[in-house]
Amino acid sequence: MRNAIAIARKELSIYFTTPTAYAVFCGMTFIAGMMFLAALGYFQRMSMQFLSFQQPQLLDHLNLTDMVVYPLLRNIGVIFLFMTPFLSMRLVADEKRSRTFELLMTSPIRPFEIMLGKYLAALGLMAVAVGLLALFPLIVSFFGSAGTMMNSGGGSPIEWSTVISGLVGLFLVGAAMMAVGMFVSSLTESVVVSALVTFVILLVVWILNWQAGRLEGTARDVLDYLSMPTHLDAFAKGAPALKDLVYFLSFMILGPFFTERAIEAHRWA
Amino acid sequence: MIEVRNLTKRYRDLVAIDQVSFDVAPGEILGFLGRNGAGKTTTMRILTGFLPATSGTAKVAGFDVFEQPLEVKRRVGYLPEQPPLYVDMTVYAYLKFVASIKGVPSAKMKSEMERVANLTAIGAVMDRVIANLSKGYRQRVGLAQALLNDPEVLILDEPTVGLDPIQVREFRDLIKSLAGKHTVVLSTHILSEITATCQRVLIIRQGKVVACDDLAGLAKKHQDGTHELSLEEIFVKLAEN
Repeated sequence: MRNAIAIARKELSIYFTTPTAYAVFCGMTFIAGMMFLAALGYFQRMSMQFLSFQQPQLLDHLNLTDMVVYPLLRNIGVIFLFMTPFLSMRLVADEKRSRTFELLMTSPIRPFEIMLGKYLAALGLMAVAVGLLALFPLIVSFFGSAGTMMNSGGGSPIEWSTVISGLVGLFLVGAAMMAVGMFVSSLTESVVVSALVTFVILLVVWILNWQAGRLEGTARDVLDYLSMPTHLDAFAKGAPALKDLVYFLSFMILGPFFTERAIEAHRWA
Repeated sequence: MIEVRNLTKRYRDLVAIDQVSFDVAPGEILGFLGRNGAGKTTTMRILTGFLPATSGTAKVAGFDVFEQPLEVKRRVGYLPEQPPLYVDMTVYAYLKFVASIKGVPSAKMKSEMERVANLTAIGAVMDRVIANLSKGYRQRVGLAQALLNDPEVLILDEPTVGLDPIQVREFRDLIKSLAGKHTVVLSTHILSEITATCQRVLIIRQGKVVACDDLAGLAKKHQDGTHELSLEEIFVKLAEN
């Protein structure tokens, strides 16, 4: 475990002393900010419209969690789709390219510890990403008001249980994507190939359910289950089921498992 | 200390090393010679557990490199041909990382890093980022990394590449000071280095061992009448295809 933590610390120190993490996180928060403003603008227009109907009780059907935070978290899944390949691409591939792989493989550490250290670093990055994104609901909760005219009784303008469930869902999406990315990275020496292949795989997994509409019965259910947005949606709505958690956990177990195999394979060929 | 028996490595059709056998006694310094592509790096990679052999066995300190890799890796310090450096890190952070994966206890971390930094004279660049160092300094950081945790066996692949003449001399003194306590396998193309530091020489040609003897024995074997050949003449004679 000590070795894994040493590797995780090394990975994170490289991410945060080079521009990589900053560039990716800046891009992420910028795009998320645009999405956030768009969702807020829509919310504002709807509120104005309902007011002009002179039916203020309709306003009770509007709330910030469902109309701003929920679509925002769902859309951020798409940002993750573009962002994670850039974060995961160098995990193992860069070690091979810069020959430091030789150092790791001739040090008294197990391939499992190398993999674990790298995945822990990847999870750390995703935790930072989700932490940054949590700022948006925080902003809403500061400036929003809980009730409208009918029930301005107070309470938080944000339904925190739903939002936290959504943020956990985003973290799991990121963790699953990093698991795929780390495995792809362990198969190549080229970071470009690593990022590209990861992106293609993730995109396919993301849009699998586009085909579901044409199908019926079991085939439709299977495609729906296999595609990632289905499960992010369940978390973002605040009602994740066990199957949603199992879906993400299977990525988080299989990705590292195959990565460990790929690293171990170097000892054999 | 090192026992190599009938070691063979094939890359598809290419035979990199072929039935190589040799021993290195504890405390001995072995010079490893051969032309480019003769199989030096491959042999060293197998000895350090980085590559598996196609057939044959290699043991370090009694442990098989394939069956008990962790035991071997704990005892071996390795400087590959291209020093394995994380160029985005500072020398200090890099050595600290290597020390921790080599199992240096946290209490001894600082003194151990100071010790190798002094041996390789890199104290002045500890806080610099490795990407900004000259080739000679990078080579020395690579050497410092190999010396961490005081391994019994050192395997050095062309360690003096990029060093200036004064550093080369310091490096020789360093290697000589290791003799007795450490077993060293050292590959180089600079023959004067071998005569200055090594007790025994192993020469391979196209993956096969052509000579493995001490310097005096080698000279005697290749006497040309009354005239004794220099190591360079012997090398040319043996290593030329």
